[in-house]
Amino acid sequence: MLITLDETVRLINEGKKLHIAADDSLLSQLPKGNWIGGTTPYFISEEGGLLSKEKLFVNEIDYAEEIRVESYGKYNVFQIVEECYDNGLIMLIIPFGTDVAAKYAKEAPEVEELLMHPTIGWISGFDLATGGTAKVYDGTRGESYTDKAVAMYIKLPEGKSAMINMINIFADDKNDPVIQFNDNDLTVSKCTVNGKEMNFAQYIKENGIGTKMPLVADHNGSYINTSIKEVTEDKVSFYASVFRNVEYRFAVNVEDYAGQFRDRVNEASARCPVFSCNCILNYQFGNLEGKKIPPYTGPVTFGEIAYQLINQTLVYCEIMG
Amino acid sequence: MDGIVKEKVEKILQGELRYTSANLAFNMEISKMQRRLKSGSVDMETCIKEMEAFLAKYPIVAKVDLANIAML
Repeated sequence: MLITLDETVRLINEGKKLHIAADDSLLSQLPKGNWIGGTTPYFISEEGGLLSKEKLFVNEIDYAEEIRVESYGKYNVFQIVEECYDNGLIMLIIPFGTDVAAKYAKEAPEVEELLMHPTIGWISGFDLATGGTAKVYDGTRGESYTDKAVAMYIKLPEGKSAMINMINIFADDKNDPVIQFNDNDLTVSKCTVNGKEMNFAQYIKENGIGTKMPLVADHNGSYINTSIKEVTEDKVSFYASVFRNVEYRFAVNVEDYAGQFRDRVNEASARCPVFSCNCILNYQFGNLEGKKIPPYTGPVTFGEIAYQLINQTLVYCEIMG
Repeated sequence: MDGIVKEKVEKILQGELRYTSANLAFNMEISKMQRRLKSGSVDMETCIKEMEAFLAKYPIVAKVDLANIAML
């Protein structure tokens, strides 16, 4: 729910367990309490997509038996799999463009047992028109960080479990060339295309490939996107990492981005997500400003976490049982 | 995991059967196991053990997945 600063302060002072997304000018005014937060001025509210520096998006975590909050740098971020509750949910927020975000992007899929611990979250950001610094907040300690991730461990009652899913408008064409990379990285020069080594930037340019379309990898029917940030003379950088031994193809062109997004939302089976976030690229390319996509409300983000870091996707969590 | 389901899960991991779950984590786990098997870094027995441990963590949705796999 999108609410005022006064309403948010009241919820914190009542001892509610909260996830909060807002512009830094608002988050910095909040008192200590049972909350974590991240910066973004973009939201999908019940009234539609909007940019707001006057209101905060707040999720009440009333399904939790208990919570704990910790912050992590790049050297210990994967302690989350050891420190989480056995039956719970990890809600993770990481500031955009940081070492800890790069570490998480590159290594999360290879972390043993990560898939056994439902992990959802987002990359915090800023107003693209004015720029700024992405931050995360640990409300329990009254601290903010520009270089650390903040995790809220949510313990679920016995018989309940968290299920994370996503809505992705992209898919591949299995007849298209297979692209592979030698390493897990956020910036690459070389790749192989159908087994033949070449420069990836040159391949994109020579084939006139539009970089509005992400690379997609088919994970047993679940398509994971990796969006292209920049193509220079000889290098390509991504918003999330590419991985060695994974087969990628460019997503099939989507003519009506907004329409396709609405169709996928209508097809999805979520009844009552307790959390969702949506990519800033979907917000921009899908013209989501002013558009409602019930029941999915939440922050618009610089990257989504559904176990690993992904892009151009709406992720959500439901509590089952 | 009973014998029939185990046999079918092995076929899924070898790419001989196709099953897509409604659980994102299960699809990611299958994909990870398939890549590991293909690269030769693990054997099928290790994969099945990890798969059983994985399914034990998601008992509510695993019930549906195992029933669906049994019917493949």
